[in-house]
Amino acid sequence: MNDKELVRAAGMIQQALGDLRKSRYLECMRQLNLFACRLQDLTRESRKLGLAISHEWPAASEQCCKSIDSQLNEIPYSSSKLQSLLDRRQKEVPKLSLIVAELKSLQEEFEDVEFKGQESSLSVVTEPITLDEVYFGPFRVLLALDKLGELYHKIPYYVIAEEPHPAATDEAITHPHVSNEVLCEGDGAAAIRAALEEGRLCDFFSLVRSILNTYNPDSPYVALSDWDGVACYDCGYVMDHESSYYCSHCDNAVCDECSRVCTDCGEVVCGNCVSHCEICDRSLCPNCAKTKCSECESVCCESCLSDGLCPECKEEMENEDEEQETQTTDKTPDTNEPKTTIVGR
Amino acid sequence: MRLLFINNDGGGFADYINVTEGMTVEQFFKEQMPGRKAEDYLIRVNRQPVPRDYVLQENDRVTLTPTKIEGAQQ
Repeated sequence: MNDKELVRAAGMIQQALGDLRKSRYLECMRQLNLFACRLQDLTRESRKLGLAISHEWPAASEQCCKSIDSQLNEIPYSSSKLQSLLDRRQKEVPKLSLIVAELKSLQEEFEDVEFKGQESSLSVVTEPITLDEVYFGPFRVLLALDKLGELYHKIPYYVIAEEPHPAATDEAITHPHVSNEVLCEGDGAAAIRAALEEGRLCDFFSLVRSILNTYNPDSPYVALSDWDGVACYDCGYVMDHESSYYCSHCDNAVCDECSRVCTDCGEVVCGNCVSHCEICDRSLCPNCAKTKCSECESVCCESCLSDGLCPECKEEMENEDEEQETQTTDKTPDTNEPKTTIVGR
Repeated sequence: MRLLFINNDGGGFADYINVTEGMTVEQFFKEQMPGRKAEDYLIRVNRQPVPRDYVLQENDRVTLTPTKIEGAQQ
């Protein structure tokens, strides 16, 4: 930026900081109104409780107590939110010369500093970011000056991947702590807010850069170990490690849709390794698929085999046994028929 | 001797503090950030990087910004 642009940018930033100071007072008013409403609700419940007690309505009294308890739980949160706004010591909006000094310092700290007056934006580009050997490329941190006044409601800046290398399972996640161009500030939230409130632009951009350069394994959108995902061996669908199954025979990863469970032993198998019972068509792993009918050698699951035979062979054998029994019965003489006795002359 | 100290580690407070005359930046860091390593911070005086033996002056503005800050997921 040349000197003219510096002054123009500084003027716009000074205006935005003035708007931010006003918005703090408006936010205090809003939070105070919310807090007052809660107190009014409590007063109303208190009257109801009095009425319920005077009429000796225990069920209504209990209901009132539950409602009061629930409302009291909200009070500490409302109170602390209000207090954090009120506790902030009033900061004067910095003079133009100080903001110009901040911008000059920003240009020394970051290589690519861009001010776009028409878009009311000030941005810097970080160096390429790599975390644990996973490359994310450089990021543009863009401060929307016209949104600075909304600091107490939403984040007024965006973190844009210049050479996106998003997580395999979600294109919107371009960094473990960036989703949809919004940074989750974590431990840096308070310092970032203080830097913006005081117009310390160089500190603000440096803080964002520090967060981008740090991996918090306890709370990423997507863990680095899952960044490139794993492809299903059967259909190619890319998934994270937690969603994947592994074939017990070939160790390849398969997705939930493609995984099969052996009906006999319960092991997971992929589509390539799975066999099927020739009788009921249920899935079998390669080991359990070695179980066969001793007669016809059809692959069978345990529940389709009976005495080592498939249902067809079993039936056949039973039929043969019946036939044999029948034939044996025909040949044996009948001792119940009367005997012919020849009497001598 | 009075300095403006901006500590961006944690709350990011900015306040005036009194230090001994002739104190260097290195000594100042050790006093204000015991147990921490200087290489884990961006240290700027009056918005400029300075050598560790720079002697602090009245009304200097000293900024410390951690180079590693843990983000999260919302």
